[in-house]
Formats: sequence, structure tokens, C-alpha cells
Amino acid sequence: MKVKRVTGMLLASALVVSLFTGCGGKSSENEDGIKEFTAFFAVPGAEINDDNEIQQIIAEKTGAKVDETWLTGQTASEAVGTLIAGGEYPDFIDGGDAMGQLYEAGALVPLDEYLDDYPNIKAYYSEEEWNKLRQDDGHIYWIQQFQNIKGEEKATTHNDEAFWIQTRVLEWAGYPEINTLDEYFDLLEDYIAANPTMEDGTENIAYTILCEDWRYYCLENPPQFLAGYPNDGSVIVDPDELKIIDYNTTDTAKRYFQKLNEEYQKGFVDPESFTQTYDEYIAKLSTGRVLGMVDQWWNFAYSVNDSLKQQGLDEKGCSYVPLPITIDEGIKNQWHTSGGALNVGSGLAITTSCEDVEGALQFVDDLLSQDIHNLRFWGEEGVDYEVDENGLFYRTEEQRTQAADTAYKASHLCTYSYFPSYKGTSDDGINANWPDEQPGEFFDSLNSSVQKCFEAYGVKTYVEMLGTNEAPGSWYPMYSFSNAMTTSTPGGVAWTKMGEIKHEYLPRVVMADDFEGEWNTYMKAYDGCDPQSFLDEMQEELDRRMEEAAKFE
Amino acid sequence: MSFGTKRKKAAVAEPKIRFSWKEAKRQKALLIWSAVILIYGIIFYYLPLGGWLMAFQNYRPIDGLFHSEFVGLQKFQQLFSDATFLRVIRNTLAMGVLNLVVTFVAAIVFAILLNEVRNSFGKKTVQTISYLPHFLSWIIVTGIIHDALSGTGIINELLVNLNIIDQPINFFAHKQYFWPIVAFANVWKETGWNAIIYLAAITSIDPSLYEAASIDGAGRWAKIKNVTLPGIRPTIMILLLMNVGNVLNAGFEIQYLLGNGLVQSVSQTIDIYVLNWGISQGDFSLGTAAGIFKSVVSIVLIVIANQIAKKNGDERLF
Repeated sequence: MKVKRVTGMLLASALVVSLFTGCGGKSSENEDGIKEFTAFFAVPGAEINDDNEIQQIIAEKTGAKVDETWLTGQTASEAVGTLIAGGEYPDFIDGGDAMGQLYEAGALVPLDEYLDDYPNIKAYYSEEEWNKLRQDDGHIYWIQQFQNIKGEEKATTHNDEAFWIQTRVLEWAGYPEINTLDEYFDLLEDYIAANPTMEDGTENIAYTILCEDWRYYCLENPPQFLAGYPNDGSVIVDPDELKIIDYNTTDTAKRYFQKLNEEYQKGFVDPESFTQTYDEYIAKLSTGRVLGMVDQWWNFAYSVNDSLKQQGLDEKGCSYVPLPITIDEGIKNQWHTSGGALNVGSGLAITTSCEDVEGALQFVDDLLSQDIHNLRFWGEEGVDYEVDENGLFYRTEEQRTQAADTAYKASHLCTYSYFPSYKGTSDDGINANWPDEQPGEFFDSLNSSVQKCFEAYGVKTYVEMLGTNEAPGSWYPMYSFSNAMTTSTPGGVAWTKMGEIKHEYLPRVVMADDFEGEWNTYMKAYDGCDPQSFLDEMQEELDRRMEEAAKFE
Repeated sequence: MSFGTKRKKAAVAEPKIRFSWKEAKRQKALLIWSAVILIYGIIFYYLPLGGWLMAFQNYRPIDGLFHSEFVGLQKFQQLFSDATFLRVIRNTLAMGVLNLVVTFVAAIVFAILLNEVRNSFGKKTVQTISYLPHFLSWIIVTGIIHDALSGTGIINELLVNLNIIDQPINFFAHKQYFWPIVAFANVWKETGWNAIIYLAAITSIDPSLYEAASIDGAGRWAKIKNVTLPGIRPTIMILLLMNVGNVLNAGFEIQYLLGNGLVQSVSQTIDIYVLNWGISQGDFSLGTAAGIFKSVVSIVLIVIANQIAKKNGDERLF
């Protein structure tokens, strides 16, 4: 009887205890003595297999591996907000737009005191660049991991925003010079009139717009580019006066939306534009029926190009090339800027939940060494690429196809893509750090239709289609500040509200029967968000950045 | 025969409960298990209420619950001076009431119709198929609805081919369609499931009542009106009461997944507002304040509904 009672009590107390321990500690070292870290990146990404081969090789060489998880079905701020509310973090994190929230929540470990011990990390940025990454308390919390160019720049792909057009449209029209918004839409209209359907009878769509959630930049921010300014993202910066200009209210903006409105009324803008989800949009592009759109290359190209290739549609001219569009003839376009824009608003950070900060930083340091870097982006020598007698890396056609295969990517390749990496040239001085930037390798890997198009325009790369520009100034890009804004300041609240208003009114403006009336309603609602307080904070930040930069001159 | 009268009688005859150690010892097992449930309830339902403190603070995760600055009702003031919040209350109430009425009526009608089916194989098949959607998650249901209602979806195809409309309607681009779409989705997903409980209630009706009705010359319609409906009335009342308390839980996933920029002024509910401001924008205090408001309104609604039921001598919750 007594035994029973004791067991009963034990059971009950065990139950109570188990209620408190929902999340247990994690083991940071596995049986082979390899340290295991966790990472969360607030962007959509592809998970790799647990037994991924290159990940294993890197683990053997560096003594550590990282289990990466990506955003699924949430926005970055929702995912990060949930982590903050829970108070438990993975070892590594890139919160994307919500990086500022992580900082404010005290979730990140300051890295500046460690930097000197890790030569590869230390050398990753210049003193001036590290300084830009300092937060208002003077510490560095994250390492921006992209757009860092080592040695000679080898940009081939325009990895940014542009007006894209299918090569078949250009080929049909005899590769004309297209420089303005009007010319662009005239061409799309003419093509649709002559070719209403694809070969298999699917109806062509002249122009579609992605508006889902944060990806509505496809509708929202072209006015800055059309006016000939680079991608500051949320505002235009006048480079002479160093003044912030709101691109939402400019004449260019009004003309651009009026043009979209006209095209919508004429039936050339996809009527599903404003209601489609990102997945539906990608599926639509993958059928090859969309002739043109505005988007960032990284947002569509990787999935769409693979899919077009599998269907053989790339050879039929369904691949996209960028066009140097501005609102009027004679404006110099700045769709592409060279030199890499340092986005100080986010990056790879180590959280307070990480028990082995030194080990984590050591791993990042190792990832930057050239041989590991080659493993990440080129793969295994003899398996994923070959080396010729001059030491130049190249891939066979078979290896190229293999590298585009999703299953192979998951089982074999491991790029640790959200850890710091270099573009540009390898330490050996001849090879590119990324296969797609290797001269020769790049052009050969293009499909014949894009090759023909490039030859017709006398260019060799996507970047040359647009021409390139130096980064406009040391403030660039301003979006790294606005992305990190939170609602703790009036400017941040205004920014959030402006976003809400634009999400609702921009589609309405495009669809309106009475453009003028709707535009005025929109402008009135827009003014109601107090955009001036946002612009003032942007101006303050611009001034601060210029002051900081002046210290290094 | 109804449950209501039975319960009233029981209440009158209720004996006085006397507590004695002997009795406690005899019911030891019961007491221990009740304690476990009680502890569970305290931990998971009452302790989290401590978080309500946040609504009266300017909460910052770095300071924690105990070191954040108290600001009194400032967050509530901010909430009610925000036009968006007033709009989400309207949306939540409108969709909540619409969903409640439509799903409620649909389930009862469906249960009664199904009960009248004489072929038991047909009846079982229909019942099984009709409650299957309940087990689908909203993400799948909204996917199906999004496809079905798209420009090239089955609904537009039907309407165009039947010459009811000339051009496909872009259902998700117009505000007036959003609430009906949500209500329809709820009906499609939950009718079969909700009907189960009414079907169970119908089976418990004494068959002799139907016999008596037949002898009195009642047809099917009269039997439904005079036997079936009064028979399930207590069940209907209880479920109605519980659902009234849930009116402000008009939904989160469905509006979140089906909404877009164009219809956001009618699609956002309180829950989405809490997510946007509380989690996404990191203003936990504002999110908590909105959550408290929702809970308080729900409690008030359920008390009012209960009082009305009490007055009418119907079945009630407390």
C-alpha cells in the first residue's frame, strides 16, 4: 500500500516537473567530437539533407557543423518576434528586416572584442566598414555576409532589381533599343498583338506584378530607378545636396503609376497581379507565359530558371534579361551599382543562447579560408568541377546540369549561403569565387537564346545590358536603416503606416477607372501617415553616416 | 422530456455537501487526479495571465516583465485612437457574427436533412464525406479556395460558361466578396463536423414521440417542426452560448492566408492586428492590450448571452 502511494506521488511530481521543462538544453558536441551549432535565417531557403556530403567534409576540416533552418510561411518579423517572445534563440541568427528588434531585445552578443582573434573575419571588412556596422551603443553585433568583393570584381549577373523581359520578345522585334517605360510597354503590346498565345496555346501575359506582403517592392519602388537613382530602397538621396527625397510623391511616381493604370485598363497588366501569392507568381513565371515584370533577380531567377530549363522553355526564349528603363530618354540609369553595397541593417549574428561564442566565431573564420570557400561554392574538385593545366576551374556540361538539380543540391552541395562569403576573385588570383562569375564558364552556361540576345546587343553579361555605376556615396544604401526601423520612434511608426497605406492604395490606383481621383485619395491617405517624421529620421541618419564617413577621409 | 426541466428538478433536490476526512480518503484517487488537472489549469491558464501586466507597461524584452516602465492605460489609449484598431474590431465582429449565423444554421439544417435520409448506407457515406474537410488544415483549405476562385478557377469558369458573367471576376480584389468568402469557407469546412453533435442529439430523442406524432397524423415536416427541433433545442442553446463567447475568435489563419493588400481594410481581424503590432513590430504591450480587450469583450458577451438564456428558462452554461 505504502509503495503504491509513493509511486503515485512520484508519478504526480514527475508530471508536474515535466510540465516545466518543455525545452531542454541542447548538446553542442556530437559523438565524433564535432561541434554542432544551430542557425536560423529569416529568409526562405532550401534545407539540405542531414547526411549532406560537403557539409560532412567541412565538418571534418573545421570540427564544426551548423544545422540551418529557414523561414517558412511567415514574414521575417513574425518569426523573429516569436523567438523574442520565447526568449530562446539558435546559436547563429540573421533576422533580416527584424535585426533591429533582436538588438533591442538584447539577444545578440557584441562581437567587436573578439574580432582581433579571428584574422579571416577581421580582414573581411575594412576599419571604415566595421565602423558602419556599429550600433548606437558603439558595438558590432552582426557581420553583413554579402556583396563583399575580394580582389578584382567579376560581376556577371545583375542580382538586383530591373524591368525584365523575355528574350523571345526582343528577338521577335529584332533586338531594338528599349530605354523608356513607354517603349517597354509598346513593345509588350505589339508582341501580344502579334502573338497572343504560346506555341502550346497558353495565353501570354504581357506584364504581371508581385504584390505579396514585403515583396510589393515590385510595384512600389521602381519610381526611384525610373528617375535615374540607385536602390536606396526607401527614399531617394540627392547626391549633390545630400537631401532625402520621397520618391512616392514625385512626378515620376505619378507618371509610372498612371502608365500602369493605362496598361491595366487596356488589359495588358495581369488582373491577378494584386491577389496572387508568391508561390502562384513563381508558378506563373515558370510556365513561361509572362513576358515582363519588375523584380529582383534573386527573388525569381533561381527557381524559375531551373524550371524553364527542365521544360526546354529557355531555348524557346522564355528566359529573362534586364532592360535599362528610365522614365524619359536621356536619364542615366542606375539599376546596377558596382562595388557591393554594404547593407549594415542585417547580417550574421551570434545570440546570447550560444554557449560557445569562440567556437562559433572560429567556424565563421574557417568558412572564409579559401579552400573551404571553394568547397562551399565550387564543390569537390573532380566531382563538381575540374582544373585545367593553368589552374583554371571549369565545369563540364554534366557537372553544370548536376549542380542545378534540386536533389543533388540537397544531398551533396552545402554553401552555408547565409554565412559570410566573398564574391570577386579567389586568393589564387585567377579563379572567380563563384562559378557563375567565372569568365567563359558564365557565358557557356547560358542558354542559346540568351547568348543570341547578348550577341545582338554586343554585351557579354547581364550587367552589361544595364551598364554599371559606382556606388553613389558612403551613405549608400539607405534601406539598411529603414529596414531596421522599429515602431519605438515616430518615424518608424510612420514608416509602418505608410507601408500599410501603400499596400492598399497602390493596387487601387493601378486598377482605378478614374486615375486622378484615386491618386488624390491615395495622396491624402498617404499624408495622413505623417511621412515627414519618417523622412526627418532618414535625413538625420544620412547626416550621421556622412559625418562618420568623413572621419575616414 | 427536455433536459431543461430535468436539471431544474435536480437542482432543487441537491443535497448539502458535507466535507469529512473519511469521505476524502474514500475519494482519494479522484482528488489526486483533480489536483493534477487543477495544477495543469493554473500553470497553463492562470500563470500566463501574469503577462497581462505588459499591457500596462512600456514593455521591452531586454528589461523583462519586472523592470519595464509602468505607463498605466497609455497603451489602451493608443489602441483606441488608432483607426486601424477600430476597423479590425468591426471586421472581427462582422465576420464573427456572419460565421456564427451561417455555420450554425447550416449545421442544424444539414443534421435534420441527413436524419431524414432513410437509406443508412447513403446516410453514412454522406456524413463521412461531409466531415472530412474538418481535418484539413486552413492552409490547405485556403489553397483550394484561392485556386477555385482565381481568374481561371472552376467558379469563374462555370459562371462564364453559363453566361452569367462575361469576364472572370477577380474575387480577392474586391472588398465586398471577402466576408462571404470567409463565411463560405467556414461552412464548407465545418458543417459536417458540427452536424455530428446535432445528429447525436436527434438519435437520443424518444422514438415513441415520433410514433405518437405519426398516430396524430403528422407528416415529415410536422415531425421535424414539433418533435426533432424541440428535442435538440437544449443542445442548440448550449452550443449557441458557447459560440457567442467565440464570436471575437472570428479566425486568424483564414483571413491571414486569404487576405492581401487590396482587401486588408476588411480582412484584418484582432488576432492579425496583435500579430502585426505585438510580434512583428515588437510592441508586445500594444499587442497584449488588444488581446485583453478581446478577452474582456468575449467574457461580457458570454455573460449577457447566458443571462438572456436564464431569463427565457432555457439551457445555460452557468
